[in-house]
Amino acid sequence: MNCWIFPGQPVSFTERVEHNGYFEEIARACRAMTGFDPLCPDSDGADITESVKLQLYGTVASLSCCAELRDKGEKPDTIACHSMGIYPALAASGSIDRQAALELTFSFGVALSSMRTKGEYALGCVTGMEEKRLAEIARKSGVFIANRNTSRHFLLAGEKAKIVAALEMSEASGAFSARIYPCDAPLHTPLLRETTQKLKMIASGHVFVEPNIPLFEPLTQNRLTAGRIPSFLVDEICRPVFWDRTYMFLKGIGVSEFTEIAFSPLLSKFNRWIDNEL
Amino acid sequence: MSEELTLKVKKMIIDSLRIEGTAPDDIDDDAPLFGDGLGLDSIDALQLVVAMEKEFGVVVPDAATGAKVFASVRTMAGHISENLK
Repeated sequence: MNCWIFPGQPVSFTERVEHNGYFEEIARACRAMTGFDPLCPDSDGADITESVKLQLYGTVASLSCCAELRDKGEKPDTIACHSMGIYPALAASGSIDRQAALELTFSFGVALSSMRTKGEYALGCVTGMEEKRLAEIARKSGVFIANRNTSRHFLLAGEKAKIVAALEMSEASGAFSARIYPCDAPLHTPLLRETTQKLKMIASGHVFVEPNIPLFEPLTQNRLTAGRIPSFLVDEICRPVFWDRTYMFLKGIGVSEFTEIAFSPLLSKFNRWIDNEL
Repeated sequence: MSEELTLKVKKMIIDSLRIEGTAPDDIDDDAPLFGDGLGLDSIDALQLVVAMEKEFGVVVPDAATGAKVFASVRTMAGHISENLK
């Protein structure tokens, strides 16, 4: 059994130098809808933040990879996603179309970017530390573990000053690396609860049909149904992602082949790490 | 530094990172492993840290040291030679 896996937001636009026709077509649709042109990501054509641009770029990249594979006659038995990879994953499952995936990415991104008026937030990528120690540091610093990707790869989220402090403590406590990334909002944390009304309204403005390919979500590894998708889209923004549990769950139900639907591997590298620990 | 060690390092890189379609001879001793070279990233770096410790008993304590050690196959082999117990 094979599974198409959709990563979340990329950290840069530089993942593919040459864009093909699939990417160009979807990038044009993105530009028409949002003003942001993924073919020229550094241009100033859209009044949106860098985070929203990256989120759109990730969705366009995944949708184009998906279209290319479909044209080659490939089809997944199951689908799974990480964080904002949910939007193209929903399209791949047949629950929504490409246009809706772009709209959801854009609308959620813009809604989340309104958090910038409340404070300055950041993400902190920590590698090489045990979860127990990192959880203690997160608690002391007042930040949250937003992603547990493997036993040694984590993403923290919270207020920027607190993230800086948590990363310094992590390095002092033996982390192999601790890097900060800017963001609009502290994704996958309870700090986003205050935006949920706005997100609920966005989700309720879309029609989701039953996925025709099983789609498993990365919070509780449950199969998403059409009825549950709107609430999941809101819920997942406020709760941590557990990629290692998701990967192990998928292996447990018989998935033996994983295809990452992106320009460059990320989840596949986490999978490699998890496999090496088995 | 011995050719034998250089070959072992290249095999370790290929095996631990599961690089398909690449033979040890395809990796230049001095080519950068990150960025334009093999295109490795921080996730790969941590994987190499674990592999190096397991295979040679040599530790790379942090990313700053890793940036120097993992610059190329030659720098990796040099670090192993210097720290091999």
